[in-house]
This record gives sequence, structure tokens and C-alpha cells, in this order.
Amino acid sequence: MKCVLIASDGAELLFCWADKEFTESLHRRFSQSEQGGCEPPAFGDSINTLFAPMIISCVTLLERLSDTYTCFSAEDGGHLYVLHMFGECLYIAVNGDGSESEDDLRRKLYVLRRLTEAHFGLVTLDSHLVCKELRPADSEQRSRVWALFQGLLQTYSSLREAEQSFAVEAVERLIHPQLCEQCIEFLERQVVQHINASKQRGGEEMVHAFLLVHTKLLAFYSSRSASTIRPADLLTLILLVQDLCPSPSADEDLSPQISIPEEYFTPQPSPSRQSTGESLGRRETALSPQVAEDSLQTLVPPMPSASNPRRIFLDANLREGYCPMVPHTMYCLPLWPGISLVLLTKSPSTHVACSLYQLLDGFLMLEKKLREGHEVGPPTRSHPVLAELRQRMDKFVRKLGRQDVQLHNAWLEFKSKAFSRHESGSSRELLQALGSVRQQLCSVYRQLFLTSLPTEGLAQGLQDWAQKLDFPGLVHFIYVDRTAGQMVAPSLNVAEDSTSELGKGLLAAFIKKKVWSLIGLARRYLQKGYTTLTLRDGDYYCSYFLWFENELGCKLEVIEVPVLSDDSAPIGMLAGDYYRKLLRYYSKNHPVEGVKCYELLTLHLGVIPAERVIQQACDLARRLWEPSRIPLL
Amino acid sequence: MSRGGGGELPFPAGCGAVRLPAAPPSGRSGHLGVSGAAGARLPAGWNYFFLYDGSKVKEEGDPTRAGICYFYPSQTLLDQQELLCGQIAGVVRCVTEISSAPPSLIRLRKLKFAVRVDGEYLWVLGCTIELPDVSCGQFLDLLIGLFRFYNGSVCHAYMVFSWEELSTQWDKYIEHIQKNTSDLHKIFNSLWNLDKTKVDPLLLLKAALILQTCQRSPQVLAGCILYKGRIVSTQLPPPLTAKVLLQGTEAADKSVPGGGEVLQEHDPSLPQDVCIVPVFLTEDEATALRDFPVEWMTRLPTSLANPKGSKNTLRSRAFSDSARVDEVRGQHALVVREPPTEASGAARAKDALNPPAGARSSPGSKSPVLSSTPLKPSPPSQRELGALPSNSRLPAAECTRDTGAASGSFDFPKPCAVGQEGRSSTEPGSSEQMKSECRSLQRRHTASGSLPTCWPSKETRRRSSSSKRDNLSSVASQDTSSQNRTFKRGDAAARDDASEQEPLPSAVWVGQKFPAEDCGRNQFPVAEVQGSLPSGTAEGPGSPKGRENSLPTQVTTGMDCLAAVDCTVSGKQAKLVKMILYVHRIKELVLLLLAEEQFKDDQGSIEDVYHSSLASLNGLEVHLKETLPKDHSSTAKATYSFTHYDCIQNVLTANLPQVLGAQDQHFLRAASLIHADFNQLPTVSEMIIRNASTAVYACQNPVQETFFQQLATPLRNSGVPNPHDSAFSLPGKAKQKLLKHGVNLL
Repeated sequence: MKCVLIASDGAELLFCWADKEFTESLHRRFSQSEQGGCEPPAFGDSINTLFAPMIISCVTLLERLSDTYTCFSAEDGGHLYVLHMFGECLYIAVNGDGSESEDDLRRKLYVLRRLTEAHFGLVTLDSHLVCKELRPADSEQRSRVWALFQGLLQTYSSLREAEQSFAVEAVERLIHPQLCEQCIEFLERQVVQHINASKQRGGEEMVHAFLLVHTKLLAFYSSRSASTIRPADLLTLILLVQDLCPSPSADEDLSPQISIPEEYFTPQPSPSRQSTGESLGRRETALSPQVAEDSLQTLVPPMPSASNPRRIFLDANLREGYCPMVPHTMYCLPLWPGISLVLLTKSPSTHVACSLYQLLDGFLMLEKKLREGHEVGPPTRSHPVLAELRQRMDKFVRKLGRQDVQLHNAWLEFKSKAFSRHESGSSRELLQALGSVRQQLCSVYRQLFLTSLPTEGLAQGLQDWAQKLDFPGLVHFIYVDRTAGQMVAPSLNVAEDSTSELGKGLLAAFIKKKVWSLIGLARRYLQKGYTTLTLRDGDYYCSYFLWFENELGCKLEVIEVPVLSDDSAPIGMLAGDYYRKLLRYYSKNHPVEGVKCYELLTLHLGVIPAERVIQQACDLARRLWEPSRIPLL
Repeated sequence: MSRGGGGELPFPAGCGAVRLPAAPPSGRSGHLGVSGAAGARLPAGWNYFFLYDGSKVKEEGDPTRAGICYFYPSQTLLDQQELLCGQIAGVVRCVTEISSAPPSLIRLRKLKFAVRVDGEYLWVLGCTIELPDVSCGQFLDLLIGLFRFYNGSVCHAYMVFSWEELSTQWDKYIEHIQKNTSDLHKIFNSLWNLDKTKVDPLLLLKAALILQTCQRSPQVLAGCILYKGRIVSTQLPPPLTAKVLLQGTEAADKSVPGGGEVLQEHDPSLPQDVCIVPVFLTEDEATALRDFPVEWMTRLPTSLANPKGSKNTLRSRAFSDSARVDEVRGQHALVVREPPTEASGAARAKDALNPPAGARSSPGSKSPVLSSTPLKPSPPSQRELGALPSNSRLPAAECTRDTGAASGSFDFPKPCAVGQEGRSSTEPGSSEQMKSECRSLQRRHTASGSLPTCWPSKETRRRSSSSKRDNLSSVASQDTSSQNRTFKRGDAAARDDASEQEPLPSAVWVGQKFPAEDCGRNQFPVAEVQGSLPSGTAEGPGSPKGRENSLPTQVTTGMDCLAAVDCTVSGKQAKLVKMILYVHRIKELVLLLLAEEQFKDDQGSIEDVYHSSLASLNGLEVHLKETLPKDHSSTAKATYSFTHYDCIQNVLTANLPQVLGAQDQHFLRAASLIHADFNQLPTVSEMIIRNASTAVYACQNPVQETFFQQLATPLRNSGVPNPHDSAFSLPGKAKQKLLKHGVNLL
């Protein structure tokens, strides 16, 4: 009994996903109530009818109390609802079978939000426009968009259940230095350089290329001019790749199957996924197929669907400064079952995206100030921020020329209200004008980057991270470098016929459950400001530690970690942005040092004395520190 | 940062890692809808409480205010009251529609609401977000429980009494709970008890003995003694103790409206300083009291702390696997068996006036019970075992036998329930009778404007006889005055019209004439009574157990069970059993006895109880006054803080100062978090959590939770696993330091 939905503040259903049980219960309810020859209402309509009072109440409370619902829960594992407003969109997740916690549901909403941001970029800043993207008027288009996000949600849920990297939200690396080096060399010479030298790339510039084995990162290469990719974005990309080309189940044999006839890769004709808006005529040309043909003769599983390649918005550090949601194009190429090559290109108009972001950022700051009730009097008008914003905006509008009349007009109107000497504009009018400018900016962004778009081996016996560690009584551990957003852990294979360090089947499944629950508990205490947690749980002794180091590996003093409310963004990287904020928070107090943040979770047998457990954790942290510093590049 | 980013505030804005510039916060202005004055007055923790009757707001045009039965704080602007009631009621309906069940908790960003739905009635308690979810719900349950206990079912009360009067009642309950709730008590939702380390244990024994003496009167089921609003000794299960504690507040604070009036309107037929308050128990509570009339503490926790509607912590614990339950029971038996043991020991030694206790403590008692129940472990010998704390490990087998017998009692059909249900549903005049009952209750309310009025008033007596004339035999119709009964010890309680209608098996009556020293038979240790239950049919006519069991039967057949009238109330709360609460105040000391309803009309029994306890109570009052330190501020500050929570008795032992320092706040926050998780994770036995300023150790077993914090200067380290971190030495320190507080973690 699960359901996730997004609604506008006008109670319009923008997106909805429900599992079979929920759908069926809904169907039963409405077919019962509407007997008498009438067709039961469409799924979306039933959802709308059911949830409308809740959505309206949410908005009403927000207006009247400046506060709104975050959670409804029933006793004894009954239904659980988590609600969150992102901008003017209300996200709701429901669980009726007790299989998900409040944190799980909130996490799901944040991940869904991140996915919409990755697909719509800065357009998500305008509720009106994002509504149109999420719920296109054309029903066929709508079902396509919904199917995309429904699929992603499902993929995310299963990954979070199955993969340690998605459980702790960090990128898991395959530690195999030699292989890694070979792959990077290959990516650099054979892929990136080759493609960037091609004339057919249509202005696109290949910036990143990486190889994935299932959900694990084997090798990653970035071109020299590229900005670093954030680990959170990398994990999002891994999620997208898993959705496009699902891994064979973990126990399947990875070795090449000779029986499959070889075939050469041929790129698919560019799928024309026309967005709702009119295209600016830019069409990506297919990347040179010869690259693949010449260098990568390999088996290729069926080509992923039409949504490949796709437009993806990723954060970047550009020369102009930090810029969120810079448009990229992602090409995903399955090389072998479970092994994928992912290429990211940057469009030539990246700088426009950057300018748009800066302008939007400025206007939103202004809007916030106005809403908080700051007087619109002379102090605000003459504020240096506003002056600078005005200058930049004027320049931008001029550059854009007559291409966008609406933006032009909106800007004129705002200027007349904000800068006229007659003080005519009341705060509300000013806000209105400002909102209109914001919407037009988002609209320009959308026209530029959300229109449709129009790819590229190796397989070796890959070894899992299975260091022969001699720690008696240690059952499992996860070590996370939060600065790099990467984790290492022994594999937890719960399939019946596979053997991992933990043995087979049931026991491994039991351990996995313990590990997952420890992850949840550790997060809960971290959210409340505790960086160390140990507990004796049945026959096991669990421990969790978070600490900071400088670049040389010297331990830094522990700090008071912020205490957050229950409805704050989940602790994580994919859902929310916790660790990045934590690192900045720490750096603020220790400006000199390059701060690194680490986490260690251990699971020991309960018979081991607590002092030994702590000693082992201490040794483990030291041993794991070295491999985690093997550079990716 | 989106609007939802509000929760991320604690990160300083500068390093907020703003993924996105903020979408405009919609916040217009103003905070929650309390006018300034009211807002300032609100104590921390509680913001709102309201009772909403959805049936009053059905049509489009019905104003929301029509459904607001009660709203706290009353200064809240009506507009805001309507907003909250309307929105919460609406959203509860919406969730019920989707999930087929209402939510029990609604959380906002800055507030949380515990919600209870009873038919068309909706109770909502709004608390600050810091209060743990579980506490929020427990407070609401306590409020509702208090109301039901003193007023009967809500729909009945709201039909019969004026809303204004009931609002006064609600005000009183809210004030009572708030006044008696410290930060620590808020977390555990525990009861106030005397700090036992500051009182001579002999006084506690004395209190226990007074209660036992009172139980000699067959209608007296169990009791409780309070001093300055705190528990000195109680025989009642915690949920009931929580309700009678209200009387302690009133005694301690004479300014409470009602408290004074009760004294003024003292019924001349009652002894001085005594009043009698009608109360309503749930069927489960009543059955538990009648089936096991004494010392709930010696029984396994599940049997008594589990009445429906009570949200005791015990209930939420996982008792699923039997091994664990056994363990629980075993431990429980060890932990709680102490008080009665001491009591009996002391009785022998000290108080010759208490034959029951003495009788019980001698294994060779001539009581026929022992010989007729060979299967049971000998209860006195158990007590003997318990009497030696050093030797407190009971053989496992004995524990299980004991508990097994106890649990067996659940299978015993409740005679009262069966008899009554048939009666109340078939009795044609019952609703009319109900009305007469209501009228009398109304008079009671209008007369005093407050709850505890002295019974029986003349009016009531008149009413009783008139209803008798109506040939109504159920509910509150015992015509006691006409029967001129004077209960003697050993008399079965229900020698009234009920016995004429339903001739009792002769067996019941045979064993009646007990020698005086056996009058304490209704204090038989549980195991005896329970052991006899499964084989009950085979009992000989002379078996005192027959009398034991029949007593409640007789008592209940003709009376109690205030059926749900015509309220459409959900099943479990529908049936309430009427009893009376005997309240005897001596200065700051209050003796409270729960008794069968006809006790109020039994002048003789009342006199007996009064005179047998008066001298002891006076003595106890004087001693407590002398012993208890005047101010609670402890002089020497300890080097550690601890809290020990007894889940069975629902009481705390702690050493926190009255004014909390920074470290204490850390401790409270940690205890609050861990307590909530212990509830969720029954398999977790120990936990250590640590931040930059403090480390807290906590451990739990099924009957207790202990929290410990070292108050040394903040430990400075990096947070990396470090065996020399003092946080990991906390378990050892706790075990060592807490021994002197009577907390044994070994």
C-alpha cells in the first residue's frame, strides 16, 4: 500500500504513483461508491478526489498559521503520511503496510524532488512552469513523463533496499587500482579526446566519462576544462543509469558469454522527444559512432529506450562561479550486462544557464526579503544588491534582444514599480511584478534547455572489495568518506546461491536487516546532534562514528553538530544535502584546514567486550583510510 | 533552499549550501492563533486542547464553532479556534477516508497534535514539537481518562451537563496535569511519588498497612495514599492511580474550586473530612480490580497495566515471544514483590492490629484455601522468598508457575460482564433509568459546580428509591436505604435485591462466616485465586474461593455497568462501570479508596473504614510532615545525573536538580530520544550516545529503563573511535554509582 503524489497549491494533481495494492483498494472504493452503470473514475481523478481536502487544508494552514502538516501517523503500524512543500508544490508519500518509516518516506520525496530538478533544471523554481512540465496537457505526453518518474521512483526504492551505496547514500567504488588506471586511460584517449576532436559533436563538449559495474564506480575521467562533479549528482546519475539499463540480478555471472553472437554497436536514430515548449531548433547531432565501432568491439545489450540520451541538469563550479543545474547531456551505453559507460557533455550555451541562474538567484533573494516584510522603502531600492541586479538584468535583456518580448515587458514593469520616484508600488504590487520577472526568466531557461535532444567496452573479472581483514568478531562494516561521497564495505549478498563474507541466504539477510536498521538509527541520532552511537542489540553490538580530519589525516576536534527538526531534510546526499552543509558548517569554524568527514558503522558479535569493539573500530578506521585515498583520476 | 528548507535552519545561513535560492516562504505574518496574553501564559509543552463534536457541524451552513465543546486555552480567538478545529477535523476525516482509520498523530513543523476519535467526537491535544510523540499521545489519553473517570462517557456527560460545567472540569484536569509535570515526567509520563530515599521505609510500610486494613471491608477494592499530591503507597494500577492523583492536587491546593466547596457541603451522614465521589471505570479496569482485589504489583505486568485505553508503556513493549515474557515475568516478580513482603513482615513485627497481614505471612495458616489448592505454589512461601532481597533469585520454575497461573486467569469468564450485558440490553426501562441517573448527576453538578460532592445525598437516596419503584434493577438502582443493610465483615457485599432475583448457588454462602482474622481473605494472594479458577467447578461448597469469586458476581449483577446509554460510542469505551471513590483528607494527606458503588450507602462500612484508619492516618501524616525535608533542593551536587524509570509502577527515581543547567538539558534531550527508541526497539538493551558536550549511557530491560550521565568537564576528542574515550566507561560507572540509589544494573 504505497502512493506518492505531487500536487499544486491549487490542489491539481501533478504527478502520482501508486503500487498495485493501493491502486486496487482505490478501485474497489470507487467502483463501490459509483455503482449504477457509471464507469469508475480514472485513477488520477480518484486520487485527486481523495486527497483534495488534505491538500487544501495544507495550503490553508500555511496561509493562516505559517505552518503546515509534515506527517500523519496512525497507531500500530497503520497508515503513515509524509508531506512536504517544495516551493509551491506539495509532495505527499503514503505507506499503508508499515514497510517504510517516516524517514524512508521523506527521503523518497526528497529524491523525487532531486529527480525533477535533474530533469527540469531551474524551471523547478517556477511552480507554474514546473506544473506544466510535470503534467503536460497532452495526455500521451503526460503518461510518458509520469512513466519516467514512476520508473525512477521504483528503481530508487529497490536500490535503497538492496544496495549499501543507496542505503548510506554514497558512491561505492570498486577498489582495483590497476584496472582503474587502465580504464581511465581508455576513457581519456579513446573516448573523451576522440569525441571532443570530432567535428560532428555540434558544439557539445565531452566533460565526464565513467564506467559503472552495477551500481559501483569502476573508473571516472573528467576532461581538463570540466568542473568536478558532485558526488550527489554522481549518485543521481547512477540511479538514472540503473533505471535505463537495469543490472542483472547480483548473482548473475559477469563473465562474457560466448554463446551470444558479437555485434557491432550502431547508434539509434535520434529520438525526437519534443518537449511541451517549442524547440529553439537546436538539435544534438549524434556523436560519432565510429568511436565505438573502432575501439569498443563488444556485446551490447538492447539499447535503452528513447529517453537516452537525455538532458540532465547538474551542479558545476564554473569560471563564473558555482552554478546549480547546468544543463548536460547524458549518454548511457551498456557495454556488457551490468557494465555501463556513461558520457556527459556540456552544451555550448552553458554560460547562458549560468547568467540565468545568477539573475534568478538575485530575484529570489529580493523576493524573500520583501516577503519577510522588509520595507520597500528607499533602503531596499538603493540596496547595492538591487543595483547590481538591475545592471545585470538590463544587460541580459539587451543581449536576448527581441527574442523574448514577455521577459522584456515584465522587466520594464518591474523597473517602473521598483525604481520610480513616485513610490507608487506597494509591497504586494512589487512582489507581483517580481514574480512575473522570475517566471519569464524560468521560461527563457526552459526554452533554451528543456527542449528535446537527440553513444558508446570491456569486461574483466572484477573483484569486489573483500579485503582480508583480521578482526575477530567483526561481522560487517561500512566506511564512508563524506567529503568525496564514497563508501566501501564488504558485499552483502543475500541471494540464495551466492556466498559472500557473511555466508549464505538467511544469515546474510538477517545481517543486512541489522545493518539497514543501524544506518537508520545512526541517522536519527546524527540529526539530533550525536556523532557517536553504540548499542547492544540482541546478540550484536553496533557502533557508529562520525568524525572530521584534515587533509593529512589528523583528527580534528569534534564539534556541536546542528540539532535538526524531525521534518528537516533527510540525512544524506541523494535526498537532501546534509553532508555538504555539515562540511561547510565545520569549515566555517576551521577555515584554514581542508576538512574531511568520515563515518564508520560496525556490527560486531555481542560476546566481544565493548572495549575490544571500540579498539577494532579504531584500527579499522586507520586501515581503511589508505585505500579510500586512491584517486579516481 | 525551498520553502521546505525551514527545517534546515540550524545551519547558519552563510553555509547553508543553498542548492537553490529560496522559493518564497509564504509566511504572511503572525504566529499561531493565540492572542498575545494567552500565548504568554501557556506552559511549555502544551499549546492546545480541544474537544470537537462533528455531529454538530454537518450541513454546509453549520458554523464550526457549534462543534467546539471545549477549547484550551480559552483566550484563543474564536476565529483561530475555528481554524484549528475545522482544519484538524477535516484532515482527520480525509485521512480516515483514505486509510479507513483516523490518524493518531498529526505533525506540523512547529506543533504536533495527538488525536483520538470516538464516534463523532474528536479529542485533540496540541503540543510543542519537542515533546516526544508518545508522550503527546499519553497526555491526551490521561486527559480523556480523567474526564471519563469522573464524568462517565463523553457523549453522556455532554448530554446531561452544561458545557460550561464540563469546561470547568476540563480546566481542572489540564491544570492538574500541567502543575504536576516536570520535564522529566513529561518524557516518561510517569506518576509523582514521594522520593523514597527521603522517607523512613517504615512509614511506607505503615501506609501500605492502612490500605490493607481498609480492604477488610468487602466493598473496598483497592486504595492509594497521597501526601502533598505525591504517591506514598498505592494498590491501584498506574492508570488508575494517575486518575485518583487529581484528589491529591485538590487537597494540596485548597484554592482549587471544588476542593473547598466539598468541605463546606460536607454530607453530615459521612464522617468528618470524608467525601465520596462517584467514578467510572472501564470494564477492564473494574474486572481487574474485582478479580484481583489486592496488590496488583505482585502480578505480571500484562494483566494489570493493560486495560484498554491505557497507554502505559508496557503495552507497547513486545511481549510476543514467550521466552521473553517469562523473563519479564520473572524479573517483574522479583522487582515488585518487595513492598508487600516488607509490609507483612512489618505487620508481624510491629502492628498487631493487622491480622490479615500476619495471617498471610505465616505459611502454616489455617486457611482452608491452602489445603484445597495443592497445585499452586504456596504464596506465603513466595513472600518469604521475596522477603530476602539478597536471596532474590526465584527458581525459574517457580516463576513460570506463578505467572502461568496468573495468565490463566484471563480465561476465566467474567460473570459480571455476561450478566450485565444481557440485562442492560433487555431491560426495557434502562434508558429511563439512565435518565434519572443523569438527572441526579446533573443536580450534583449544579449543586456544587464541581465534581467531588459528597455522596449519598438525600436527593440521591430519594432518587434511588423512586427508581426502585419503577422496578428497575440495573444500573444505579440499588435501593440501599430500604434494605437497612449494615455490612459486616465477611458478609457478601451484594446481599441486596440482586440476590433475590438471581438466587446464588448455596456454595457461595456457605463459607461466609469466617472467623474475624480471616476477614482478609479477599486479600488472598493472586496465585491462589487464579489457581482455583480453571478448576472452579470442582470446588467444594465450603471453599472460600467460591466466595471470593462470587463476590464480584453478586456485586455486579444488580448494578454497575453504566451502559452506553444511546450514545453511538465505539465499542471499547461504551461500557463503563460505576464505582465510588472514598476520599478522606487529613491536611496534606489523602486516603483514597475505590469501592463498589453500594459502599456509599453502607453507613456501617464507611464508619468501619473510617475508624479503623483514622488513627493510623493521623500518625502517618504527622510522621511524614516531620520526615520530609522542607525544600527539595539537594545541597550537595552529584558528579553525575541519572534517571531510573520503573515501567511497572510508572514512577521515576532521579537526581536532577530543580533548576536545570545546560548539562541537565543535554541529559533530558538524550533521555527523551532514547526512551522513544527503547519503545521501538525492545531488543536493544544498552545504548551510548555522544556529542561534543556530553555522553549519555542508557539501558533497559522489560521492567525498567536507566539513564546515566557523567557531569565532568566536557570530554574533548575527535569523535573517531577511541577506546580511551570516557564515554565508553559510562556503563561501568553507572553500575557502580547507582547502587546506592537502589538501582541495580548488574
